[in-house]
Amino acid sequence: MKQIALYGKGGIGKSTTSANLSAALSLQGLDILQIGCDPKRDSTRMLMHGSFIPTVMDLVRERGDAEVFKKDVVYTGFNGVRCVEAGGPEPGVGCAGRGIIATFQLLEKFGALTGDVIVYDVLGDVVCGGFAMPMREGYAQEIYLVTSGELMSLYAANNICKAIRRLSQRSKSTCRLAGVICNAKNMPGEEDLVAEFARRVNSSLVQYIPRDRAVQIAEIHKQTVIEYDPASEQAQRYRTLASRVMENTTFTIPIPLEIDELEALALEYLQI
Amino acid sequence: MSLKPLPLNTSRFEGCTLTGALSVTTSVRNSISVVHGPRGCAHHNFSLLHATSLEHDGIGAPAIQSSGLLEKEIIFGGEAALEQALSHAVSLSPSCIFVLSTCIAETIGDDAGAVCRKDWGVPVIPVPTGGFLGGVFEKGVNNALCTLSDMAEPRSSEGTVNIIGEKNLEFEVEENFKEVSRLLSVLGLFVNTRFVHNISDKDIAQIGRASFNVLRDPGACPVGDHLKVRFGTAYIPSFPAGLAGTIQFLEMAAAAGRVPFRSAVADEIALQEEVLNGFSDLAGSSISPNGLKMTSPVYSIVREVTSALDMGFSDTGCHVPVPLDPPVGTAGIQRMLHRWRRAIHA
Repeated sequence: MKQIALYGKGGIGKSTTSANLSAALSLQGLDILQIGCDPKRDSTRMLMHGSFIPTVMDLVRERGDAEVFKKDVVYTGFNGVRCVEAGGPEPGVGCAGRGIIATFQLLEKFGALTGDVIVYDVLGDVVCGGFAMPMREGYAQEIYLVTSGELMSLYAANNICKAIRRLSQRSKSTCRLAGVICNAKNMPGEEDLVAEFARRVNSSLVQYIPRDRAVQIAEIHKQTVIEYDPASEQAQRYRTLASRVMENTTFTIPIPLEIDELEALALEYLQI
Repeated sequence: MSLKPLPLNTSRFEGCTLTGALSVTTSVRNSISVVHGPRGCAHHNFSLLHATSLEHDGIGAPAIQSSGLLEKEIIFGGEAALEQALSHAVSLSPSCIFVLSTCIAETIGDDAGAVCRKDWGVPVIPVPTGGFLGGVFEKGVNNALCTLSDMAEPRSSEGTVNIIGEKNLEFEVEENFKEVSRLLSVLGLFVNTRFVHNISDKDIAQIGRASFNVLRDPGACPVGDHLKVRFGTAYIPSFPAGLAGTIQFLEMAAAAGRVPFRSAVADEIALQEEVLNGFSDLAGSSISPNGLKMTSPVYSIVREVTSALDMGFSDTGCHVPVPLDPPVGTAGIQRMLHRWRRAIHA
């Protein structure tokens, strides 16, 4: 079983990438489980044709964890992709990071963490140990960074490199950086910049995904691009990503950059 | 960011902020202290205070309850659990309720103050006690005292004194209080409120009417300053310690209370001579510093007493019990000398 996690800055397109990746993988005949780790619970929405599925945390809050069962939290979406949303507390109270930990423990208790590939779609940045849970506890062994060429997006990706490096020092750690996915803003020089960033942090660019209206159009129809427009160029990009993820055997301990190196890199590549 | 003291500077002054605050709030009669956190935070403090109370021949258990936070509350917030704990506490008809936060409640950011502000029919007073935010035991004591002082309004009165921040868990808490009361009484002053040792919430309301305050030790200066701002009451920063220190205390108290002191000072000096004469058999014997550091406030008092009794002080001397805090007043020195005599003649 392959367990991968997509990390990156908030709003960079992790959920879109995750959902299309899961959809593409499922079309290879693989059994896929996608787990959204974000309280806003929109990770699996396109796989579920627009519906927000009940979250693990909402059910735990309403019923207590003794009354929550596997059938209540695991839903089947496009092409049999199984979907779970962790959810979280209401904004401003409690600890969503601890909620992620509790969700994973509950899913493990259910024996729900099965399949050929588990895709963990993790909230924006590694802000605390709770959100690092998929990589920290060995649930996800292969980490993909989703970034654009924007400095803040690279900054978040670089921070996640720090987390992977730190956690890789643990004796039982199996977590490694598997590659960088460029979910582009279509800025000039962006692909080269992200590729160079990937190389500098001791990794590689796995896939360049240009900004394309096909994504927005598919979302309006509450579907992934893979489902709504399988003939599109964008769908082909996601299918290529899926193939590369499955073939990937290069997993590294990243070397994060200093902030001034990161800024110099952006200045060097972006045509301003 | 927490400004917790460096480990090198903390020594035995470390400790749980919550415990410090509970040592104050549980001394308010007919009150309930609700610990907003996991049950363990309440349990170990309950055990400690109960055991200490039994050691002091006290009866009854400290009135401590817990909001009992579990994982569910940590994830979703614990304010509802606090409300539930407060409803239960109110049903027991206390005169007031104190809500003490814990490290975990502060970490997840529960707004205990907002829950306390609801209309509970009795005063519900939040005390900030998240120890990991830089606090130690002493900080808990001071936070509780400052918070509880806000239950009172300023009033005027002459010749009365508040005793502030007694160490409720120390073995000689009553003896020390009696000695300070005696020294005040020889000046014609009397104690208004023991803030806070075994008093009611009505007594707390009276703390604004003292001429001045006497702090248990300089660690309570933040409380002294708080009361000075709130009620305009000056303070003496510690209980009397040592022979000369006791005389100095009388002079400071007389000045603060604007009363004459010469006669009382003369009588106290005579009493001290009488006490020392009673231990003249110790002259010539030698005691060991017993690990006492020269910078310790107890060290200077031990040296003062050995000098007054013509005793020796060397590494080869007899190991005598030395109190952790300086002995309070002439009576405190007398008790210390009794213990020395037993050790020397053992």
